[in-house]
Amino acid sequence: MTNPGDGTSAAALLLSSVTKTYPGVVALADVSLSFNAGEVHAILGENGAGKSTLIKAIAGAIVPDSGTITVAGTTHREMTPAAARAAGIEVIYQEFNLVPTLSVPENICLGEYGGWRADFGAMRRRARELLDELGVAIDPETLVRDLPSSQQQLVEIAKALAKRPRVLIMDEPTAPLSVAEVESLFRMVRKAREGGACILYISHRMDEIFALADRVSVLRDGRHVGTLAIGDTDRDGLIRLMVGRTLSDAYPSRPAPTREVALEVRSLTGNGGRDISFSLHRGEILGVAGLVGAGRTEMAKVIFGAAKLESGEILLDGKRVAFRTPTQAIAAGIGLIPENRKEEGCFLDQSIRWNISIAALKRITRSLLVDRKAEQGIARHYFDRLRVKAPSLEQRVGHLSGGNQQKVVIAKTLAGQSRVMIFDEPTRGIDVGARAEIYRLMTDLAAEGIAILMITSDMEELLGMSDRILVLHEGRVTGLIPREGATQEAVLALASSSTESLAA
Amino acid sequence: MTYTTAAARPSLSVLGLLRKYAILLVLIGLVVFFSALSPYFLTAQNLTNILVQNAYVIIAAVGLSFVMISGGMDLSIGYQMSVVGVVTAVCMMWFGLPVPVSIGIGLLSGVGLGLINGIASITLKVHSLIITLGTMTIFQGLSYIISAQSVIINLPPEFKFIGQGYVGGWLPVSVILMVVVVASAAFLLNFTALGRMIYAIGGNEEASHLSGIAVTKVKVIVYALCGFFVALAAIVLFARSGSAASSTGPGTEFTAMTAAVLGGISFKGGEGKMWGLVTGVLILGVLGNGMQLIGLNTYAQYIVKGMVLLAAVGFDMYQKRPRTKRRAA
Repeated sequence: MTNPGDGTSAAALLLSSVTKTYPGVVALADVSLSFNAGEVHAILGENGAGKSTLIKAIAGAIVPDSGTITVAGTTHREMTPAAARAAGIEVIYQEFNLVPTLSVPENICLGEYGGWRADFGAMRRRARELLDELGVAIDPETLVRDLPSSQQQLVEIAKALAKRPRVLIMDEPTAPLSVAEVESLFRMVRKAREGGACILYISHRMDEIFALADRVSVLRDGRHVGTLAIGDTDRDGLIRLMVGRTLSDAYPSRPAPTREVALEVRSLTGNGGRDISFSLHRGEILGVAGLVGAGRTEMAKVIFGAAKLESGEILLDGKRVAFRTPTQAIAAGIGLIPENRKEEGCFLDQSIRWNISIAALKRITRSLLVDRKAEQGIARHYFDRLRVKAPSLEQRVGHLSGGNQQKVVIAKTLAGQSRVMIFDEPTRGIDVGARAEIYRLMTDLAAEGIAILMITSDMEELLGMSDRILVLHEGRVTGLIPREGATQEAVLALASSSTESLAA
Repeated sequence: MTYTTAAARPSLSVLGLLRKYAILLVLIGLVVFFSALSPYFLTAQNLTNILVQNAYVIIAAVGLSFVMISGGMDLSIGYQMSVVGVVTAVCMMWFGLPVPVSIGIGLLSGVGLGLINGIASITLKVHSLIITLGTMTIFQGLSYIISAQSVIINLPPEFKFIGQGYVGGWLPVSVILMVVVVASAAFLLNFTALGRMIYAIGGNEEASHLSGIAVTKVKVIVYALCGFFVALAAIVLFARSGSAASSTGPGTEFTAMTAAVLGGISFKGGEGKMWGLVTGVLILGVLGNGMQLIGLNTYAQYIVKGMVLLAAVGFDMYQKRPRTKRRAA
């Protein structure tokens, strides 16, 4: 046994010299890895480092050009999805893999019906047992489509665990989860580990990796650059391995915000928000914290005119405004970078140039016609400013990595000439390198006097970037923390506080 | 590597060009094929016939394609044509209004019908496929009531000139109209801000909304434009046939839809070009005409047309598939 780090337990899964190339890119280059039974093994790497390809090779979704995969004592030259499943490999992909119109038990038992009769009673009992065991409070009678996305994710995980897998691969499982749900996910993972399962855990969130993993392997440009026991490394060490260089100060410093109020919200009520008041200064980054479902995105939509303001006032530069549509909000100088990049942010089938100019049509239209030269100019300007990594402005946005897509969405919003920008989860699913660039950009924007409202579930980002932190809970403001007092504990206490105890 | 260059620019390769213009090659192939089989096919007379027969289909399909590119569907265009034709005829023959005034009223009624579709799909928030399934039935009833179920014959010669006349003795009026319509639609879609917004809404409605595009307004305009073009198509069709009956028009929706899909106008919206649409209509036109010439009966023609559509759609899916796989890295 030649496991680095741990020689005692047996390898549950062994990759040897796996190589996979696609036209124009080497996705995996001669990767050899060994994963043990009873360990949580984190896989780290920037977007495009080869993590997804690795998972797909193990799951049999793709066939490597060369190399072998050994699981349960059998060596596979070509893994197939059926063989992977038979060997006890389960994958929780980032994409949603449940049937929305079926109930929770039917989803958990999907693909397991023996015989001609579907035994709903047995399915229900099984699902209830499993959910109880996992400590997840979900009513098994519910249809999956009626669950919030975080609970859907937990069902997805329960479905995978129901198979008692030998190897469980989780790709960014916590992205849709709230802090409390992440805790129950961790419990589930630890339980599976005690049961002898081998868990491959893929995440961009460092704190999760340090909380959960036993060992960590790092990929860079398709190569395996190292495997370390978690105790032998730290955050900076891992980032160095991932990006191959030291990132200078993840959260750049910037001048203190001005006292000039850019946006003031008074007793905003609507779209789930209740009596929300705060003010946002020019040059300030105001972080907005809260659990999933606390009403942060909903509040942003009200300010942006995408949802109805029932009562209360919104003042922009001291003047009262009430936007009935985003068109009006944008014209007044408010920009929104939405939470779901692909669904709400960009046009995947169109070019970068097209995407950037769509929100600036007013500026580049001369007597109803689009001025191609002006369009090119604007697109080029923001393309360069955001350092979008693409061969040309004509590249289709669907072909870009998540980080670059996000830059295009930001470019689009900037092209609309906003003075107040709302960033909703600005770095979700984005790798460390692109993240640092987005932080730098936000810092520059703030320094130029733009007021930024930053909704985020990433605790490090929240604490690192915010001048002040507004905490919401069930649609109400439960606290406003100044930079000096901002700690994880303070934020969590306010974010999960029950409505009664917050009066003080 | 955070992006791949190989998969990104297929249009530069020979294969990419082939993919992009495959539909044009199919049309050329069909022309060559029928020219070889029938001596009557490749004559100026026959080719003009094909254009004249299909001018109204192309004009109507242009209207439909606006709706399709914006992510919607309009099943009612056949009966819109029926209503417009009957209204125009009734104005001319029963009310004795001058021809240009009647045409104006016809066009306006088309815009009105389009507006009904647009406003209904926005206020009811149901997919336009369902909405127009409903309005289609309404328009059918409307048309038969207006025409009192009769066939209005002997339309005035000035009116028939639009569908049957020639300029300079050889250039059909209907073909001129068709060219003007296609050119202005292409211009609108490619060079104006409105065109951008139509593609944007079809590509991603939610992102369009959040990018500040007045989605509702643009949709209403799109349906009104569709109604206008469909009305123009109706006038060309009724002028060519010389009489007006409520049964003229229906069926066009499926021909136009087939042609649009053949021509690369996606059912999901957000993409499609006018040259593709015209090619799609002409493929169907050439097929119909050619098969007639070589003696295939109408029913055999249906089978062939259906198969051509399936083949085209299958090819489209096939050529899109490898690209998504390559993106997996």
